[in-house]
Amino acid sequence: MTDLAARLEGVGKSYPHFILKDLNLELPTGSVTGFIGRNGAGKSTTIRILMGLVHHDRGSVTVLGQAMPMRQAAAKRDMGFVSEDMRLYKAATLAWHMEFIQSVFPTWDQAYADTLMKRFDLQAAHPIKGLSHGQRVKAALLLALARRPKLLVLDEPTTGLDPVARHEVLAALMEAIADESRTILFSSQNTLDVEQISDQITFIDKGRIVESGNKEEFLDRWRRFRLDVPRGASVPVLPGTMGPGVNPPGSRLNVVVTNRFEMSMVAAYQAAGITVQAIEPLTLEEIFVTTVMSKKEGATQ
Amino acid sequence: MSNAGIDWTLVQLLVQKDWFFMRKPLAVYLALGAFGLFLMSAGSEGTFYAGSVLLLTLLISLGIHLVMATVIEERTHQTLAFVMSLPISPREYTTAKILANLTIFAIPWLILMTGSLAILGFGLEGAGLGLIPFAAVILMEIFVAYCFVLAVGLISESQGWTIAAIVTTNLLFQGVLYGVSHMEDMASTMKGSQTVWNATSIGLLGIEFALIAILVGATFHFQGRKTDFI
Repeated sequence: MTDLAARLEGVGKSYPHFILKDLNLELPTGSVTGFIGRNGAGKSTTIRILMGLVHHDRGSVTVLGQAMPMRQAAAKRDMGFVSEDMRLYKAATLAWHMEFIQSVFPTWDQAYADTLMKRFDLQAAHPIKGLSHGQRVKAALLLALARRPKLLVLDEPTTGLDPVARHEVLAALMEAIADESRTILFSSQNTLDVEQISDQITFIDKGRIVESGNKEEFLDRWRRFRLDVPRGASVPVLPGTMGPGVNPPGSRLNVVVTNRFEMSMVAAYQAAGITVQAIEPLTLEEIFVTTVMSKKEGATQ
Repeated sequence: MSNAGIDWTLVQLLVQKDWFFMRKPLAVYLALGAFGLFLMSAGSEGTFYAGSVLLLTLLISLGIHLVMATVIEERTHQTLAFVMSLPISPREYTTAKILANLTIFAIPWLILMTGSLAILGFGLEGAGLGLIPFAAVILMEIFVAYCFVLAVGLISESQGWTIAAIVTTNLLFQGVLYGVSHMEDMASTMKGSQTVWNATSIGLLGIEFALIAILVGATFHFQGRKTDFI
């Protein structure tokens, strides 16, 4: 059985205008899970439930062996949390924040904090109110990373960052990943960021998890076929395919996407008299959009 | 160090944090309060009145400032997520907020109350020993009002509701000032040259102490029922 850093089982939360439904999510120890969803899909609610900051109505949540939200204080001793809407105290300096966090977390690594400060081009004596958004995010990330957490939860940390700041943040995360015992949950709307650092992918939409799995397997099983369909031939409906419905009726060139790619599919198309012009891998963004759209339309075969 | 599920070391750190951020405003309030006491003791009825108004205004303002800065701004400035990411439970957060607020408010309140009662005790012109029970009841009312605003601020975390609580307590303060000064037992001894602690003044203080206890208890109770913290 896999060692899990966190597990959400049948979790639900109801608000007047939003419902998180029967959510199941496992974060294996040492994994980096990319949590992708649109605005309002339920990413932040899920993360807040995981942190114990929002109480779930249904199901169970266990984080680092602690039942949430009751044992949140114990769980948070080994957790780091950075969210896009988290702010530090404007009137205080980064040095004050570091001293404060150090007094709370005995695991605080000052040498690592100094390294991150240099890398992020931050100054300890600088008041937070003078920092740009990117610098504030980096400061928050420094405070989370230097406490050496077992579980790092990042809620859209790269949102609103300029390309250089994003690169610096992602580089720091890549380094954090090098510690194989550290588990990371990284939520984002930016699939490129997630693709770079994650080994597990979970898509959430309208309060439901629509796909979840290993990133490599994920990318491997998704393919796009470009088909040349002669007049009179029809595209066979193969398992896991989406797309024939979106092609104009009677068009010769058809695009079909599958999430259960096998080489035997090529033979099936050829047997139907169709020429496979190209088989292309999909980016995570394309997979996400296709997954969400297909769930919306119920188009998966 | 924990007792009954509360990590007091962490609570202490959170209390210190609020003290740190309030240290400069607190120094300003204390300096202005010292000036108010100076005016009260200056010897004339006019300066005594001006000093009293300044002290009451300062205490009411300090209460409002504290709740807005340490409770409401924690949410509006989005630092609540930072605090709640620390290894604390909502109960520890509530305990720390109440302790920080009560201590930050109580220290200047006690200093200014002791100072003003001492000035009244010296029986300077324009003031009298008979005024001490009335002053104690009124100053205690300010503490009750502060606890009410704090309770509303913590439970609602809403700027709107907190402002409504501030307006309500300020209107009530005027009512209490008028009502208490017109109570026969209070009015008959207020202008006297002796301090008279009768059943009315002691009863009013008792009610005020009970209200403080109820408000603090209610804050813990309603905070404990919350399911969403950010």
